[in-house]
Amino acid sequence: MFKWSIIFENLPFLLAGAWTTLSLTVVSMIFATVAGLLVGLMNMFGGRVIGAITRVYIEAVRGTPALLLILIVYYALPRIGLNLPQFPAAAVSLAVCYAAYIAEVFRSAVESIPKGQSEAAFSLGLSQAQALRHVILPQTFRRVLPPLANEFAALIKDTSLVAFISMEDLLFKAKIIGARTYNVFSPYIGAAIIYLIMTTPVMQWSRNLEKKGE
Amino acid sequence: MRLVVDGLHKSFGSLEVIKGVSFDMDCKERLVLMGPSGSGKSTLVRCINWIEPPSAGRITFDGKLVEPGKCDIRRLREDIGMVFQQFNVFPHLTALQNVALGPLVVKKMARKAAEAEAMELLAKVGLSHRADHKPGQMSGGEQQRVAIARALAMHPKLMLFDEPTSSIDVELIHEVLDVMVKLADEGMTMIVVTHEMGFAKEVADRVIFMDQGLIIETGTPCEVFEHPQQERTQSFLSKVDLA
Ligand SMILES: Nc1ncnc2c1ncn2[C@@H]1O[C@H](COP(=O)(O)OP(=O)(O)O)[C@@H](O)[C@H]1O
Ligand SMILES: [Mg+2]
Repeated sequence: MFKWSIIFENLPFLLAGAWTTLSLTVVSMIFATVAGLLVGLMNMFGGRVIGAITRVYIEAVRGTPALLLILIVYYALPRIGLNLPQFPAAAVSLAVCYAAYIAEVFRSAVESIPKGQSEAAFSLGLSQAQALRHVILPQTFRRVLPPLANEFAALIKDTSLVAFISMEDLLFKAKIIGARTYNVFSPYIGAAIIYLIMTTPVMQWSRNLEKKGE
Repeated sequence: MRLVVDGLHKSFGSLEVIKGVSFDMDCKERLVLMGPSGSGKSTLVRCINWIEPPSAGRITFDGKLVEPGKCDIRRLREDIGMVFQQFNVFPHLTALQNVALGPLVVKKMARKAAEAEAMELLAKVGLSHRADHKPGQMSGGEQQRVAIARALAMHPKLMLFDEPTSSIDVELIHEVLDVMVKLADEGMTMIVVTHEMGFAKEVADRVIFMDQGLIIETGTPCEVFEHPQQERTQSFLSKVDLA
């Protein structure tokens, strides 16, 4: 049954997986945040056509499993000549997926700023872009941090989907240990603990920020 | 500065709020706009700098017809300052940064020069000591004075005030009115939506009384306040006087 010794003996192996999980999360999150901001802005201010295209993208991603996107990017795209190695394929899929969620985070933050703020900016002669850059976005900064931290924690967990393309993240390493030691219980508990160690501080930070914001 | 508003209409969906308003004003004129709540005063004022695009009619500013080409309208807004009922100061910026933002971003002024001028304007509205404070730490009266200084920083030819004292504690209203009187004395051209009778009598060249999207009476403060011709003006004034 459950044995701490199995976890400790294989700790370096598990931690190597945790490192893969964490670096994949950070890289994906950076791209997802930049893309999410752009998509969110295009959705709100890009006009009718771009607004509709980005809306379709957001809804399509939100309505399909992230795993499907990973499988498409890693297994299907090579058939049309787009060959991506494991890590970039995983990062691209997760970034495309999370950009849609993060676009909505930015959209609701921008919409929560009172209309009078942009009206005051326009009355001074600022353009739409200048008003966003100097008046609206700086005010959304505090409001987007808590939900972005939540997305980050969710992304840490969702990276486990890359086990499906045999990427050796934390979950996959645990699976390997299970197969090697004929003890599945211990390595999975070990992985769970490591996941919690990564996600809990992020979620706590998010909660603190939210409290401070109120 | 010369402003001509000609046959202005504004609808929100099927609701027509401004039903054909025309007036004009010259440099250094001071116009006070009055009327019951919902009569369209805010909408009219917001149409003048195109924050609310009119549905029909013409606005001519300094002899130029204002047309909805984006750049043109931004130029127009540089020349027309606006002060809002809810202040709308930028909460993430200090008083100084609020005032300097327009010159920095729109006029591409150098930071040093913009901030020096912003300091002068803050002194003018009596807020030198508040330059490094953010709006969250200021009273309503102080925030509104920051908003006035922010509008003045663009060197507008016309200032629009939409009920500038309606959201301010009674005991602080005079702070704002004093600044506005000072501006008027310096010859600023202004349109002021207000129910402050004392201010109107002291400052206004002309009072326009609006009801249900139309101008129903216009004249000097003495004419409109002492001898209102229209029954709706009379009944409105009797209520304001009581308040
Ligand atoms: N953005 C808007 N959308 C729909 N209706 C509006 C909008 N702004 C104002 N109105 C309506 O227009 C009418 C006139 O409003 P307003 O110009 O604010 O009047 P006032 O400033 O004289 O109180 C009101 O009935 C108000 O509900
Ligand atoms: Mg109003």
